[in-house]
Amino acid sequence: MKNILLKRNHIRSFVIIVSLIVLTYYIFVGIWPFIFNLYMSFSKSDLSGNWIFVGLNNYKFLFRDPVFLKALINNFMYLIIMVTIGMVSSLIIAGFIKRTSGLAKKIYIALFFAPVVTSLVAVSMVWKLLYYPEVGIFAKMILSMFPVSPPRFLADPNTALLSIIIMDVWKETGLRVIILHAGMEEIPESIYDSSRIDGASSITQFFKITIPLIRPQIIFLIAIYSINALRVFTQIYMMTTSPPGGPMNSTQVLVVKLYLEAFRSFKAGTGAVISLVIFILLFGLVLMEIKSFQQKWEY
Amino acid sequence: MRRINKINKYFIASIFTNTTIHILLIIGCFFMIFPFIWMIISSFKPNIEIINIEFKLFSSNWTLENYKRVINEMPIYRSYFNSILVAIVATISTIFGASLAGFLFAKFRFWGKEILFFIVLGSVMIPIQIVIIPLYYMISKINLADTYIGLVFPFLINAFSIFLMRQFIYGIPSELIEAAKVDGATEWRIYFKIILPLVKPAIGVVGILSFLWTYDEFLWPLVVVRSNEMMTLPLLLGRYSMSEGGVIAGPSLATATIVLAPILIIYGFFQRFFVKGISMTGIKG
Repeated sequence: MKNILLKRNHIRSFVIIVSLIVLTYYIFVGIWPFIFNLYMSFSKSDLSGNWIFVGLNNYKFLFRDPVFLKALINNFMYLIIMVTIGMVSSLIIAGFIKRTSGLAKKIYIALFFAPVVTSLVAVSMVWKLLYYPEVGIFAKMILSMFPVSPPRFLADPNTALLSIIIMDVWKETGLRVIILHAGMEEIPESIYDSSRIDGASSITQFFKITIPLIRPQIIFLIAIYSINALRVFTQIYMMTTSPPGGPMNSTQVLVVKLYLEAFRSFKAGTGAVISLVIFILLFGLVLMEIKSFQQKWEY
Repeated sequence: MRRINKINKYFIASIFTNTTIHILLIIGCFFMIFPFIWMIISSFKPNIEIINIEFKLFSSNWTLENYKRVINEMPIYRSYFNSILVAIVATISTIFGASLAGFLFAKFRFWGKEILFFIVLGSVMIPIQIVIIPLYYMISKINLADTYIGLVFPFLINAFSIFLMRQFIYGIPSELIEAAKVDGATEWRIYFKIILPLVKPAIGVVGILSFLWTYDEFLWPLVVVRSNEMMTLPLLLGRYSMSEGGVIAGPSLATATIVLAPILIIYGFFQRFFVKGISMTGIKG
């Protein structure tokens, strides 16, 4: 209550104008397109203006399409692998950085964070060339260090998706590290001191003290990155272009499929169904995350 | 005596682990920046030397050929201008829109506030990927496809920035605003004279993030841009990625360097500000 300004009886221009701006904008970019998208999912159109009602045909067509199912599975794989590798590596790095100090710490943070601010389109391009099979840099590095023939990365259906995930993990590590590190810095040193007297090793401390105490940050990051994993488009489109979706659809994901259906095959209806599928998945994820946030308070 | 020994043992052990940690972190940092170093160096190499059986990081024939090719073959200046223009418009609009809406949600009580806030909250679950087909249809029906307005329209404001601003403005003492009101200031005056100056740190974060997001946006321009004149930098890069592999490695890397150079330079200067601002948003979330 303290934080809310006194009511005034006359109409306040500020409130009306600002709420109208916000409301109008969100009607145009959110509410109306969302409702229209629902309608589209039951119709056939090439986006030129004719809409023919076709009932559930788009849905039937899509759920029988093996490429769509492959995209759905790939999105889940992307989510699980990217979040797992990303969180584990970032936790370790943040734990390491916490044990350094002074200028070295600042430099580490600055360098780990550098890829985060850069353009995803540009780094996807660079990584595509780094991944060049046989004569690319990564292939040669592996060849010089291990006595095995290096993978063909993006050109091999078995490794293509994983290669893209590794690039994604690389790019976003800095952001996770900074958020986790900021959480770790807030843990009072006295907790560590007293556990050290009890004879806890630094590894025990990490698992028993650090991780439980930065649980809010961990959940927050998992939430953000699982949502990102559902929306992934740019890196797939940039790194596996011919055909889009990689060799044998091995990197096909929902948003790429949506783009191909709606803007390459001009089947807006099928594209609209994919949008709805993404929305439902997103909705489920957000609900799950709200739940795990609430659990925090019981903890 | 035993105690001293124990401390000594810990001391040696900690030096050992500290050294290991530093070595591992240095290796990690190397991997973080290696792609950029490779990109910049390779962009000055002749095309055939970039991806070659013989690996040499440094070439003996430095050349500007790749950059010349990009400038001759692609509308790079125009794309640069488009990208920067769209990003700046989106940034300014987001800063003002989000701080106004944040002020509204943090300090006012009015009819329909909950509904309005629910709409903003709900828009988090409707990112552009989900509504891109109807949004494109709408934009093209009102003849805004392939225009600056069409390009920037979905990025004029975003829910994340509104939340951040609301959170920040919530922390400003209401007494300050009350006092100004007693002196007869209108809400607009309070916004410009009190709120805006006090939320400078949040403006920094919102500004940086909006700029980076719009500068890097790929899907929406890919859908809405048709002509060469309206291409943004990400689209230019996307066009290079279409042709497969090493043939155009040089020009692609030159373009990537051109795209990344301003960001990396700005980051180099304001690195601490970036890190501080972004870790602040993390804690808030």
